[in-house]
Amino acid sequence: MDSPYLELRDVTKLFAKVVANRHVSFSIQSGEVVALLGENGAGKSTIMKILYGLYHADSGEILINGVARKIASPKDAMALGIAMIQQHFSLVPAHSVTENIILGNASGRINLAAYQKQVRELATEYGFDIDPAALVRDLPVGVQQKVEILKALFQKARLLIMDEPTAVLTPQEAVKLMAFVRRFATAGHSVVFITHKLKEVMAVADRIIVMRNGEVHGDLLRASTDEKELSTLMIGRELPPLPKELAIPASAKEMLRLDGVSIRDAHGGCGLEEVSFAIREGEIFGIAGVSGNGQQELCEAICGFRPLASGSISLDGRDLARLGIRDRIGLGIGYVPADRQKDGLVMELSLAENMILKSSYDAKWKQWRLLDRPRIAQYANSKIQAYSIKAPGPDAVVKELSGGNQQKLVVAREVDNGTRLLIFDQPTRGLDLGAIDYVHKAILAERAKGKGVLCISTELSEIFALSDRIAVLYKGVIQGIFKKTELTTEKIGLLMAGYAIDAEIPNMTKESAK
Amino acid sequence: MNANLRDLFLSTFFAVVLGIVASASLLLFLGKNPIAAYTLLATSIIRDSYTIADIFVKATPLILTGLAFALPFKASLFNIGAQGQFYIGALAASAVSLALGERLPGLPGILLVIVAAMVAGGLWGAFIGWVKAKFNSNEFLISMMSTYVALAVMNYFLRTALMEAKHEYPQTDTFAPRLWLPTIFEGTRLHAGFILAVLFALFTWVLLYRTDLGYRIRVVGHNPTAARLSGIEASRIYISTFFLAGALAALAGVTETNGVQHMLVQGFNPTLGAEGIGIAILANANPIGIIFAAILFGALKVGGNVMGQMSGIPASIIEIMEGFVMIFVILSYFVRNFLATRRAKRVLQKSLAV
Repeated sequence: MDSPYLELRDVTKLFAKVVANRHVSFSIQSGEVVALLGENGAGKSTIMKILYGLYHADSGEILINGVARKIASPKDAMALGIAMIQQHFSLVPAHSVTENIILGNASGRINLAAYQKQVRELATEYGFDIDPAALVRDLPVGVQQKVEILKALFQKARLLIMDEPTAVLTPQEAVKLMAFVRRFATAGHSVVFITHKLKEVMAVADRIIVMRNGEVHGDLLRASTDEKELSTLMIGRELPPLPKELAIPASAKEMLRLDGVSIRDAHGGCGLEEVSFAIREGEIFGIAGVSGNGQQELCEAICGFRPLASGSISLDGRDLARLGIRDRIGLGIGYVPADRQKDGLVMELSLAENMILKSSYDAKWKQWRLLDRPRIAQYANSKIQAYSIKAPGPDAVVKELSGGNQQKLVVAREVDNGTRLLIFDQPTRGLDLGAIDYVHKAILAERAKGKGVLCISTELSEIFALSDRIAVLYKGVIQGIFKKTELTTEKIGLLMAGYAIDAEIPNMTKESAK
Repeated sequence: MNANLRDLFLSTFFAVVLGIVASASLLLFLGKNPIAAYTLLATSIIRDSYTIADIFVKATPLILTGLAFALPFKASLFNIGAQGQFYIGALAASAVSLALGERLPGLPGILLVIVAAMVAGGLWGAFIGWVKAKFNSNEFLISMMSTYVALAVMNYFLRTALMEAKHEYPQTDTFAPRLWLPTIFEGTRLHAGFILAVLFALFTWVLLYRTDLGYRIRVVGHNPTAARLSGIEASRIYISTFFLAGALAALAGVTETNGVQHMLVQGFNPTLGAEGIGIAILANANPIGIIFAAILFGALKVGGNVMGQMSGIPASIIEIMEGFVMIFVILSYFVRNFLATRRAKRVLQKSLAV
């Protein structure tokens, strides 16, 4: 038998405190789409970054066409025909599409017009609708991804590694991407598709490699497996179902109210346009939408981080307009931001120190003008236990915790800060299924206490699992507010992509006035 | 943790040794015997109690200017203007000392001088924080340029209101002896300013790691976005941090005017600010580490002076040595990081093998 196009043998990678990959071996054939399936933190990205030369394995080898190769840098990888599209794109926003594509592949005097033509031809060949002269910063995320793909094609990649490529796409865009992947493979190339979404795996892959805890836990042909088997391999156990929903009593008071809230964004990003809705006590109000359609702006407007261009926000009948961020925290607004590392945590400080991030002015943490460290540590410890945060102790530096444990930390803190309203933006992004389940239960538990919850997510399954009512946000405009039972995945997918379902959209002001 | 601490001491020690060895190679170029020169350096420092005490005299203002850089550094702010804040402190201390004369007894007088200098330097520094908070101006540039303004202000007063009675040189008259910082050891120049500097280093450590203000300074330093979203107003932190930094540098002004010279002389100690930055870096901005780093620099300064007088070796070799030591100490961070990672990996590998 011919040797496979690419083979990994016994690859082990250790980071300072964790085993990222342990004796990982698998192969990739030419013309094959391989899905690398696993929860976050399972080691999928790490093994691919080793293949792409970003990380170096501690042991094991990589064979290409049967020959052992050393891949010391992405440059080596590209020379061998391996390209990787990262979760976070590596494009220069101020440069044009063409300039980005030829970056690193052109030198000396550059004939931009000739390259532009080349890029246009390449784009047409693969059915991408892209203007090679457009500036990357003006392009939506979905198109930026195509630029990344074109860059790989331009470098004549034979193996395309995509790290969670559909995370930033609408369902419709995702379908198109899958079609491209199939087509690329038909031409004799290979694709590795890193994902934790079973549906995508079943739609696109020829072969599925399941990873868990840094090890390979299954190497199966799609034809001979099903979603149930895959999910068991991936998680290693069955997930208990979410607890049954509570009915919201008719007497529940309206607490958060937005009236015609608009935000102008100076940076050309998405603002908000006349957003109105109201949340009642004990209600989870879900907001679906592709990321970057105004979700973060909405959260930040409520928290007081962004000024309103018009409209008003009130909590428990109190107008928030004149209140600053700290006052609003004081009123009981908790906020779990989408980007926990950037907006929610101080990575270099300890777990205990992060627990008092929003309440450091509070006298309860002080004893004689000094911080009451034993008390803070005790508080952190109680949260470590209550949320089963895996950490050596309250003095552990947050940077060293896994993403799931960092998120639990933020959730634990905000649930305590938000005595009235909790805002969750992408509460489970990047978490493994166990942690997702935990966070979901925490959200439901807080609702049961009568808090109002605003839950924003790009994961439709999450929106459907949690929300009592669902609004769809597209380009800063609410496309409609629905009871959960009124929506189907198809319908919501269309709304998320900006298509209106005219007749079926109930008048939202009426809805919120009820 | 023990292994990390051991690495810290070993790597710092080797960094200092390497710095000394590297500057020895320059002595070879001069045709001097480095071993003889260093022997002279070592013996000259510990020659007598007066010289030994002088190490701490030199270290005193360096501790304070080191802190003046380190504290804002913890908030990711660069205070390049400690030199200017030092001059403002010295100026205020001199003005108050001369105005007081013999009017107050020693202790309250000295306390008044200290408070006045620290408030003046603090306000001078707070201005940098204020323009940063208000106009988002670059504190690096503003603080750096403010030094020249401070220098000009000091020169102005030395030529006018504060000029000596003889009106000959741009310097003040000698302060009333009761306003001099008391000497700790008889027969040396070591004054109470050293104790003050050490206390303020401890104070800075407590402030940073044991108070909520220090906590917020560090939060803003590490992640200003998260700080803002948490209701922490970075602008207030900028102003209060720069106020404290200015006050610390100004205290160095007091220790030099009221502790060492007992008068104010135009353009004295022109490198204290820059050396403070080096010391803060050497100590990784740790207030306690700064005490030791400043003593090391103090020893090099004293030794360098004596060596220059006795052997014909230019005293600037000491500055080169200081530079080399700093470079090697910075490099040692990376070595330590590498060692710590490797150790953690070893532990992991062992646990896997079992």
